[in-house]
Amino acid sequence: MPDTATSAESIITVRGLGKRYGDFQALTGVDLDVRKSEVTCLIGPSGSGKSTLLRCMNFLEAYEEGEVRLDGELIGWQEGSSGPRRPLPGRRLREQRRHIGMVFQQFNLWPHMSALENVAEALVQVQGMTKAEANGRAMAALEKVNLKDKAGNYPSALSGGQQQRVAIARAIAMEPRVILFDEPTSALDPELVGEVLNVMKAMATEGMTMVVVTHEMGFAAHVASRVAFLDHGRLVACVPPPEIFGADPADPRIRSFLQTYRERNVV
Amino acid sequence: MELDLFVRYGPALLHGFGITILCWIAGSLGGMALGFLIACIYQWSGRWIRGLLQAYIEIVRGTPFMIQLFILYYGGPHFGLLLSPVEAGIAGFVVYGSPYFAEIFRAGFASTPKGQFEAARCMGFSEWTIVRRIVLPQMLVSITAPLTNFVIILTKETAILSVVTVPELLYETQTMAAETFTYVEPFLVLSLFYWAMVEFTSWLGRRVELRVTRHLRRA
Ligand SMILES: Nc1ncnc2c1ncn2[C@@H]1O[C@H](COP(=O)(O)OP(=O)(O)OP(=O)(O)O)[C@@H](O)[C@H]1O
Ligand SMILES: [Mg+2]
Repeated sequence: MPDTATSAESIITVRGLGKRYGDFQALTGVDLDVRKSEVTCLIGPSGSGKSTLLRCMNFLEAYEEGEVRLDGELIGWQEGSSGPRRPLPGRRLREQRRHIGMVFQQFNLWPHMSALENVAEALVQVQGMTKAEANGRAMAALEKVNLKDKAGNYPSALSGGQQQRVAIARAIAMEPRVILFDEPTSALDPELVGEVLNVMKAMATEGMTMVVVTHEMGFAAHVASRVAFLDHGRLVACVPPPEIFGADPADPRIRSFLQTYRERNVV
Repeated sequence: MELDLFVRYGPALLHGFGITILCWIAGSLGGMALGFLIACIYQWSGRWIRGLLQAYIEIVRGTPFMIQLFILYYGGPHFGLLLSPVEAGIAGFVVYGSPYFAEIFRAGFASTPKGQFEAARCMGFSEWTIVRRIVLPQMLVSITAPLTNFVIILTKETAILSVVTVPELLYETQTMAAETFTYVEPFLVLSLFYWAMVEFTSWLGRRVELRVTRHLRRA
């Protein structure tokens, strides 16, 4: 096992995780600990299973083998009973998901709601707040991502970077225990990447636990506490960034990945 | 002379118009509700149930409205379904319209990007809340026009209800024409009534459309 963390300090523990799509084995025997108040970056070649791993963590993809636990609680499946596992009833799963935020590559804002309404919606519909309470909390979240003045804008009147920051505010407002990011800057024009990464850095500084799938190696190298490298559905390493980005990474797969990466970036 | 005629038959015509409107509105709303239910079930079920729903849609769409009415009204009693003409008329409308409405709603569901469902799901929204708060308001933008269109088509289908002796507008007009041997005036009035329904529906459709596209204009 590449990870030496004790599970006491980890918020999410992944053990022996396996996921298949038909005949295709997308994840095999993944063990991973996401530790409290740390940034864990997931990197690896396209198709290596990064998104799949992330989406198993909030059961957007139902994994078949192994387990994902949030603060010890099994995600998505009923605990215990022998025989084939049974999925949790919808209400229990929704209760679990409230504590796991997610930010998508394509933002996935709701276009018929203003920025403020996007952020406040779940507070009213899921957490049962009054509209006034929800708007207050939503405004505070928008302020964190420096978008207070755009609260009334619809997504179509926001730049990509601003939309992604609204999506981040939407996740923050729920006060989740962990936020999952799936390539949050990949759909952005290069000049907009920085504003989103800056917000994420600020969140990291404030101690938010984050799991970030990214191709921004600079972010992984400088902000992450640990970097997990995936290849063909297997977790090759989960180590502090210097061991990956240092002069000579141990695993040849990591070396060749970073090599192609450097070549791509030079062009 | 003509005025005299309308004094005599006016109440019957108005009553017929009332019945027409009742069947039309109740039938449209019921058909819409059933169609929406079908589209929802379709959206959240596996291949088997989808197949069944598809079969229902094909069968109902493939039979003329008049036949459906005959089956409901004259065939119903054989299965213990005793309906008055007006009840049969409304039920007929609900059944007849449901597959068309279902297809409109289904297209609406399909036009909502998957990511919007996921964003809501991973925050703990229930599926019903997703439909109510996220899918419906958006799909209304694209489906208001086809919905309005089909409700307008239904206004004219009410005329067929006379075959199961529903005392609706056409039925009363025909009675008046037959008894007085006048044809031009009654059918002129008949057209006016239908025209009013169609105008009202398109006016309502435009109002709804304005309302549901607010976010597109303000943007
Ligand atoms: N719904 C699906 N059905 C079938 N195969 C899938 C599905 N989703 C993902 N896969 C396959 O699983 C593998 C892992 O996909 P995943 O999206 O997790 O990769 P990734 O590491 O996120 O790649 P990228 O960097 O391109 O986003 C890929 O080979 C992909 O083709
Ligand atoms: Mg991916």
